[in-house]
Amino acid sequence: MDALLLLIASTVSTGLLLGAIFALVAAGVTIVYGCIWLPNASNGQFFVLSGLVAWGLTSSYGFNSFTACLIVLAASILLSLVFESLLFRRLYNVPDRNISYFVITLGLTQVMSGVFSMTFSKWSDQFSLPPLIQGVTMIGPFPMTNNRILVLAIAYTSLAILFLLLRYHPIGRAIRAVFQNREAALLRGVNVHSIYKISFVLGSTIIYLGGLLYALAYSFDLSIAWTMSITAFAIMIVGGPGSVLGALVIGLIFGFTQAIVSNFTSPTVATFSYLFAMLLILLIKPNGLFLK
Amino acid sequence: MKIKLQHVLMLVALLALPFFTQEDRFLGFILGVTLLSVFWATGMNILYGFVGLMPLMFAAISGIAAYALLYFIAQWHIDFWQALPLATLFASLIGVLLGLPSIRLKGFYFTLCSLIIQSTITLAFIFFPTFTNGDTGINQISPPLWMGEPIKGFIFECILSVLAVTGIVLAYFIYNSQLGQRFIAIREDDVLAESLGISVFLNRVIAFFIVSLYAAIGGCFYATYIGFISPRSFDVLSSLNIWLFVAFGGKATIAGPVIGALLLAPLPFLLQSLDAYKDILSGVLIVLITLLMPGGIYGAYLAWRNSKK
Repeated sequence: MDALLLLIASTVSTGLLLGAIFALVAAGVTIVYGCIWLPNASNGQFFVLSGLVAWGLTSSYGFNSFTACLIVLAASILLSLVFESLLFRRLYNVPDRNISYFVITLGLTQVMSGVFSMTFSKWSDQFSLPPLIQGVTMIGPFPMTNNRILVLAIAYTSLAILFLLLRYHPIGRAIRAVFQNREAALLRGVNVHSIYKISFVLGSTIIYLGGLLYALAYSFDLSIAWTMSITAFAIMIVGGPGSVLGALVIGLIFGFTQAIVSNFTSPTVATFSYLFAMLLILLIKPNGLFLK
Repeated sequence: MKIKLQHVLMLVALLALPFFTQEDRFLGFILGVTLLSVFWATGMNILYGFVGLMPLMFAAISGIAAYALLYFIAQWHIDFWQALPLATLFASLIGVLLGLPSIRLKGFYFTLCSLIIQSTITLAFIFFPTFTNGDTGINQISPPLWMGEPIKGFIFECILSVLAVTGIVLAYFIYNSQLGQRFIAIREDDVLAESLGISVFLNRVIAFFIVSLYAAIGGCFYATYIGFISPRSFDVLSSLNIWLFVAFGGKATIAGPVIGALLLAPLPFLLQSLDAYKDILSGVLIVLITLLMPGGIYGAYLAWRNSKK
């Protein structure tokens, strides 16, 4: 009986954590898609990149996890600006740009995974960050590391901040206006191109943040990148492209699915189920569950 | 339909290529792989260039055909030439069945759907090792027999060049036929095409079937020519590579995919020292082609020639 309770508790905590990370990454992808029409197929590589760089900073240069994560986040904003101005800005005015963007980011995936396999995979094959804080807390009868509780708190706080930002801040409202109707937003005085830039930086930074949180909570290898790309796309399509609420809800559901499935069989079965869910939604209700 | 001299010359040159590499086995092997790429790229161009759908599940269909071929040969004790049509038909029907629901989608959503199907099939290849031997792959595949003799080396390359030329000629006839014109009408404006009485659905299914035939035949010859297949031979990257041949050469033309495959397919072999950079190189090419030269090399040449007139 106790073993069963423990199993349920660990499943719930894993589900909450994975769900929040999935929701963050998928929200990043869906904001960028809803705004710029940029389906970022390389989100998994972005996700892994932040964890890898933070790993390099902590293991080779002796930074603690907190400083390393802050450095990575600051660098990620710069990197997103570089990507935006070098690659993505060029196609802002092309009508059918989503397929071009999709191909470009697939190429980017290939470049980044090639770079990773030439560098990081030669140095190690499992990566993880040292915990942010030490110690274990008992929640009722269940032990949980303080580090994981903190990661959980950061993840849900970031989700809440993101939601409030999109709901109430003028920039968030402008982003949502562009989601709904570019021309009308333009007529109401929204600078559409600068909103494109802001939303790309915002979305990418959330993806990098998700990667950092994952690296803090679990150890990972390079194969997570492609799985994450597929998962984030599945969440975006099932939730509805451009719907942040959909990304949150479906992200949590997928996180719990993965946590439950992992108790019985390989997580690949969960990946299969995401693929099927995405296929079904694409064929039956291409707008997703959360868009009108 | 007029047949231009340069087209005929190109085909004759393709047919003559194996004779130049007859002495050197290494060059011969590169040529064999390149000719297969020419065949595959020509096939993908029918769907990508003419109908305007980007099928990233192309390699998966090749894989299904290759595994089915080996299974039929081992199970029913038939030879390559009997198993080839069976495996081809089987894989093409599977391809059409898988593609059937996604055919209503277009643009990005079709591509995403085909990417999902490709990923699912790659995962299935790895996780159902009964037919595929899992990640280890199947090696020492025996070459096809002809008059009791195994076909190897020079003769096989001659067969592949005939295959490539047949594929190109077929694509040329499709391009110039009413069918090809319907494909192009659908690519340009599917609503208008539908209102003119062209069944978008039916024509896309036909295109899908033709392309699956190309993929499947190529897959069967690939397995027996290389002698080794694994799920990695037929993953997303292979599909993207074939797409890159088409896009680099120039989509929606007959010569474009041929030029693209001839230029790009031998690169990883010729630049052995660059092998580690192969993925990075093709990724960079994908980005640059999409950003700067959407028409590909041949498209850029045609634009330049038209601007001179």
